[in-house]
Amino acid sequence: MVHRTQVSPQRVRRTQVTPYLFLLPALVLLIIFRYIPIISGLRESFYSNGLSLNGGQQFVGLANFARLFREEVFARALTNTVLFSIVVNPLQTGLALLLGLLANQKLRGIATFRTIYLIPVALSMTVTALSLGLAFDRNYGMVNGLLATLGLPQQPFLGSPNQALWTIVAIVTWVGVPYWTIFFLAGLQNISAQLYEAAQIDGATKLQCFWHITLPLLRRTTAFVLITDTIINFSLFAPIQLLTRGGPELSTTMVMYEAYRRGFVYGDLGVAAALATCLLLVVLAIVMLQLFLLRPKD
Amino acid sequence: MDHLFPERSAESIAMSPQPARAAWSLRRAAVILRATVLYGLLAVVAVIIVVPLWWVVASSFTTPETVWSNVLPFSWRAFWPQTFSLNAYRAIFAEGMGRAIWNTLVVSVATVALTLIASAMAGFAFARFAFPGKQLLFWVVLLSFIVPGDITIIPSYILVNNFGWLNSWQGLIIPAVANSVVIFLFQQFFAEIPEALVDAARVDGASWLRILLQIILPLSRPVVVTASILIFLSQWNNYFWPTLIAPDPDFRVIQVAIAQLGHSQQLTLWDKIFAGSTIAALIPILLTVPLQRYYVRSVMSAGIQG
Repeated sequence: MVHRTQVSPQRVRRTQVTPYLFLLPALVLLIIFRYIPIISGLRESFYSNGLSLNGGQQFVGLANFARLFREEVFARALTNTVLFSIVVNPLQTGLALLLGLLANQKLRGIATFRTIYLIPVALSMTVTALSLGLAFDRNYGMVNGLLATLGLPQQPFLGSPNQALWTIVAIVTWVGVPYWTIFFLAGLQNISAQLYEAAQIDGATKLQCFWHITLPLLRRTTAFVLITDTIINFSLFAPIQLLTRGGPELSTTMVMYEAYRRGFVYGDLGVAAALATCLLLVVLAIVMLQLFLLRPKD
Repeated sequence: MDHLFPERSAESIAMSPQPARAAWSLRRAAVILRATVLYGLLAVVAVIIVVPLWWVVASSFTTPETVWSNVLPFSWRAFWPQTFSLNAYRAIFAEGMGRAIWNTLVVSVATVALTLIASAMAGFAFARFAFPGKQLLFWVVLLSFIVPGDITIIPSYILVNNFGWLNSWQGLIIPAVANSVVIFLFQQFFAEIPEALVDAARVDGASWLRILLQIILPLSRPVVVTASILIFLSQWNNYFWPTLIAPDPDFRVIQVAIAQLGHSQQLTLWDKIFAGSTIAALIPILLTVPLQRYYVRSVMSAGIQG
């Protein structure tokens, strides 16, 4: 991109080496720690469980996948992951859009509310899962305390196969919505006020402004949030491992957690790598689908 | 809406014909109603966010016997410790929380320093030089955005294990230095710095490294602060990777330490979990609130590829 006239021969030579030297540390690290694991993960899913840990590697073809596909645990992990994604990603994106619109209102004291909404964004998934997990405790949790005060029946939440997955959805949404709201707020603030003024002169109602100006201009933000949220939630781990360990009755087990369990609890890294490969393929397929569905219309 | 009629005095309203007056008060009622609804919604969201956190912090300052006693039946006492106690904090520090905090600080600060150096150099190369293969190498950086690190965590673990880096500082720090988002942040910022500044220094015979360190970086405070917050918080809040590769107490980081309290899920540990969570949340929140502008930018920068 740098165009120069009258470059001395010596300078050309130095310019040719210098950029590569400057790139070297970062690129070497990216290749070793980001690219090699992707490739070796694909490769390892075709090898038996010995792997690099005890040296005994054996090519087993699709045996790891065949074993997985016969298991009920894998079927449950896959359906739970898909069900969770279908619910949690549109839910978080929709709520973040609404909260962004709300936090974008020009009202006195709005800055204080925005600061409060920023708090969950700073919290780790570990802190969130542990704290909200105790809040949803079936016996001594705050949520059941509040339900009892309101005269409503107490719920088992994480203790019930019918409610555990939705409790995880609630916990992840609590921490996720404020995060994605930041993106919608920035998207809203990028929309020129002149557009709204022009529309109002033309006699457009507020609803028409929202429908014909705000929403179309938030399209890129929405696409980004939905795709990134989907990718992140596919590798959700901490709340499952800390709160339910996939239970009760496999109701919250997911592919990422199952990969961890097979690899690190049972030491079967071949099957764990096969699980991670399945996840990678599903993630790539969904990203492509979303990119296609949300492509610019023009 | 009321700002549209700032100059309308009571007199002029009194003088205006009846229908207009009725329309005005109707509009005023609509303004008040709208504000009430909006503030109501803002408050509901704030309550949903603050109440669980307040409960966690309040419960961390109570005794194990009383930590859950005000929840069923629920009373306001759950939000204000009746018997103020630092027992939970004493207990977790006796069990190595101090060491975990120190470990996490070492890991986070070292990762910030190394990532800033490697990424600033790479960003500088992309922003200031023309060289064969530039497009290709830039795509190498951009494409690694797409696959989240956690999906490849198992092969990454095997790789780091082969290096002999389990339970080590290198294992916790070095893989995190490969950060394409920060490279991209620097590249974007450096491209905006006027060419003339660099050229003048070149004429004076300064080396490229000196130009980067003495001319470019001092101008780049906003991006350095933004990137530092981004890197520091991602390390401070990291759990999955350290729990796999550094479970040893000597290298235990704060998220792993509080997760270990949580694992047992025993009622008697509740006060410790609350205390540990409070400590683990404190530093990120202290960084977030005063540096809000940079913090929001650091969150946004994860979204620049979109």
